[in-house]
Amino acid sequence: MEMSTLVAVVCTLAIFSFLYRDNPFYRMAEHILIGLSVGFTLVMLYNSVLVPKLLRPLFLEVDLWGIIPLLLGLTMLARMKRSLAKFSKPALALMIGSGAGLSIPAMFEARILRQLAASVEPFAMVGRGEELSFIFICSMIISLIGVISAMVYFFYTRPDTKLIGSISRTGVYFLMIFFGATFGYTVTSRLTLLIGRMEFLLGDFLSIL
Amino acid sequence: MNATNIRRLIFLVILLAVALPLIFNIDLTGRVTDETRQMFDNIEMLQSHSILMVSFDFEASSIAEVRPLAEAILEHACRKELRVVGVSLFAEGTALGEQMLAQVAKKHQLQYGVDYVYLGFRPQYVAAILAMGESIVDEYPADYFGNATAVMPIFRDLKNYNQVDLVVSIADGSMPTYWTEYAVARYDVNLEVALTASMATAFYPYLSSGQIKGLTAGLKGAAEYESLLDCKGGGRRGMFAQSVSQSVVILVIIAGNVVEYFNRRRKWK
Amino acid sequence: MTINRVAIIIAFVTGIFMLVQYFIDAVVVNNLYKTLLDYYQIIFAITMIVGGLTLLRVHLRKLVRFDRHSIFSLATVTAILFMVISSIIFGTGTNSPYQWAFNNIQAPMQATTFSLLAFFVASAAYRGFRVRSKPAAVLAIAALIVLLGRSIFGEMISEHLPSLAGWVLNNPSVAAKRGILVGIGLGSVATALRVILGIERSYL
Repeated sequence: MEMSTLVAVVCTLAIFSFLYRDNPFYRMAEHILIGLSVGFTLVMLYNSVLVPKLLRPLFLEVDLWGIIPLLLGLTMLARMKRSLAKFSKPALALMIGSGAGLSIPAMFEARILRQLAASVEPFAMVGRGEELSFIFICSMIISLIGVISAMVYFFYTRPDTKLIGSISRTGVYFLMIFFGATFGYTVTSRLTLLIGRMEFLLGDFLSIL
Repeated sequence: MNATNIRRLIFLVILLAVALPLIFNIDLTGRVTDETRQMFDNIEMLQSHSILMVSFDFEASSIAEVRPLAEAILEHACRKELRVVGVSLFAEGTALGEQMLAQVAKKHQLQYGVDYVYLGFRPQYVAAILAMGESIVDEYPADYFGNATAVMPIFRDLKNYNQVDLVVSIADGSMPTYWTEYAVARYDVNLEVALTASMATAFYPYLSSGQIKGLTAGLKGAAEYESLLDCKGGGRRGMFAQSVSQSVVILVIIAGNVVEYFNRRRKWK
Repeated sequence: MTINRVAIIIAFVTGIFMLVQYFIDAVVVNNLYKTLLDYYQIIFAITMIVGGLTLLRVHLRKLVRFDRHSIFSLATVTAILFMVISSIIFGTGTNSPYQWAFNNIQAPMQATTFSLLAFFVASAAYRGFRVRSKPAAVLAIAALIVLLGRSIFGEMISEHLPSLAGWVLNNPSVAAKRGILVGIGLGSVATALRVILGIERSYL
C-alpha cells in the first residue's frame, strides 16, 4: 500500500472517530483541514488572480493603471486593525455597489420575469389552441395555484383577511411538498457521500472491492 | 434503550447498509429520467469540434457525487469529438477538475491546446462569468499551467460565449444559479447542469422555464447517463448501495413514526 | 467629506454604471465595464487573503497563550504555512507537496466530514421526522415519494412511482420554489436599489 493511501486512510478514520464522540484526534484533524484549506485558497488566489491580473501587468508590462486596484486592494489590509478599518470602506463600496448594479437586471430577468412567464406559459398554450392532455391541464392549474399561494405566504405585510389567510395556508402545503422533495433528495445525496468514502476504505485500503 | 444507544445503532445500521451492498455489488440499472435523457441528447446533437465549456464548480466534499457525473459527461464529450474548455469558479474544484479532464484526455489521446484546454480558477464568480462573456482570453490570459492562451489553436475562433455551443456546470452548490442569472440572461448561453442531488429541486424551475436546457443530479443521474453511454462507471457501481441505504432510511423514518404512535397511545392511556 | 460619504458615492456611481451598461453597447462603456470587473476580482481576492491572514493571526495569538488548546492552533498554523511555503519552493504542479497535501489529506478529510452527514441525517430522520400535523404529513409523503421514486427498488415496487416522483418534482415542488424565487428576486432588487441609493449602509 502506498504511503499516500495510508495517510488518506488515517485522516479519514480520524474524522470518522467523531461518530463515537468528540475526541482529540478528530479535533486535530479538523484543525489541520482548516489550515490546509486556507493555505490552499491563499495560494490559488495569488496564482490565479493577483499574478495574472495585477502583478504581471503592473510590474512586467508596466501598465500603471494597475496601481488603482493595487491601492484599493491594499486598503482592505486595513481591516486587520480596528482603528484603520475605515480606510477599507471605499474598496468595499466598489465591490458592493458593482455587485448591486449587476444583480438588478439579472434578478429581474432570471428570477422574476422568466419564472412568471413560465408560470403562465401553459395558459398561453391553451390560448394558442394547442392539444393538451387532461393531466397537463390539471398540473398547470395546480402549479399556478402553488406559485400564487407560495408568494402570498411570503408577503409578511399582507392584510389579515380570511381569503388571504386560506391562500397562505395553501402555500404552506406547497412549500411542504417542496421541502419534502428536497429532503428526499438530500438524504440520497448524503448517502452517496458516505458510499464514496466506503468505496475508498473498502477498495483502496482493504482491497475488498 | 437510551437515546445515545439508539443513535449509535442507527449509525451502525447505516454503515452496514452502505458497506455490505458495496461488497456484494449487483449492477442495477434503472429507468432513465426525461431530464437526464434531455441532457444527453443536447450533447449528442452537437457537431464534432463544437466547443463545450465545462465549469467545475464544486468542492472536495462532494467528490463522491460529482466525479461520476463529470466523468460521464467528459467521456461523452470526448466520444463526440467536442473541444472542451475547462474552467473552475471554486478553488478546490480547480485541482479536481484538472485531474478528471487530464484522465479522460489521456484515455482518448487528446491534444492539449487543440482538442481541450484547462483555464483554471477565477474567484468572484459573477465577475468571472460576465468577463468571459466579453472575452475569454482577456479573462484568462494564461491557462492553469501558465501557458499563454492567445496563441493556442483552440482560441483561434473562440472569443466569448457566442462561439461556445454549450456550457455544462458541474456543481455542488448554487453556482448554476449565477450561470443562469448572468450568462444565460445576458448572453443567451445554452446551459446544462450536473448537480448533487441535494441541489436538484432548486433548479427544476429553471429547467421548466427553459433557462436551463438539461439537468441531471446525483449518483442516479450519473448511473442513468452511464447507461445511455453504455459504460459502467462510479454511478452504476454505487446504485445498489444507494438503493439499499435509501430503503433503510425509509424504514428508520417509519420506525420513528411507529414509536411516536405508541408513545402517544401510552400518554392518552 | 467623511470617508463614509466617499464610500456611499462610490457605491452609487459604480452601481448606476453597472446597471446602465447592461443596456448600452459602446466601446468606451464596455472597456470601463471590463476594467471594473477586473478591479472587482482583484479586490475580492485580496479580501479573501485578508481573511486568511486574520485566521492565521487568531491562531498565532492562541499559540502564544500556550494553554492546552494551543497544540490545535499549532496544527492550523503549520498547515497554512506548509501550503504557502511549499508552493513557493516546489511550485503547485501535479507532483508537488502542495498538490500531494490537497489530494491525500485535504480532499479525503473534507469528503469524510461531509459523509458524516449521512449518519446524522438518518439519526435526525428517526428522531425529528415525526408526523404530528397535516403539513408534516405532506412533507413526509413528498419525501417518501421522491426517495422511493428515485431509487431502483421504487421502480421494482411500482412502475408508476418514478412518474409520480417526476410529477411531484416538476409541478407542485417547482410551483413552490418559483414562488420563493420570485419573492427573493423582488427582495434582492429592492435591497440592491437601497444599497446603490445609499439607504442601506450596513456594509459600512
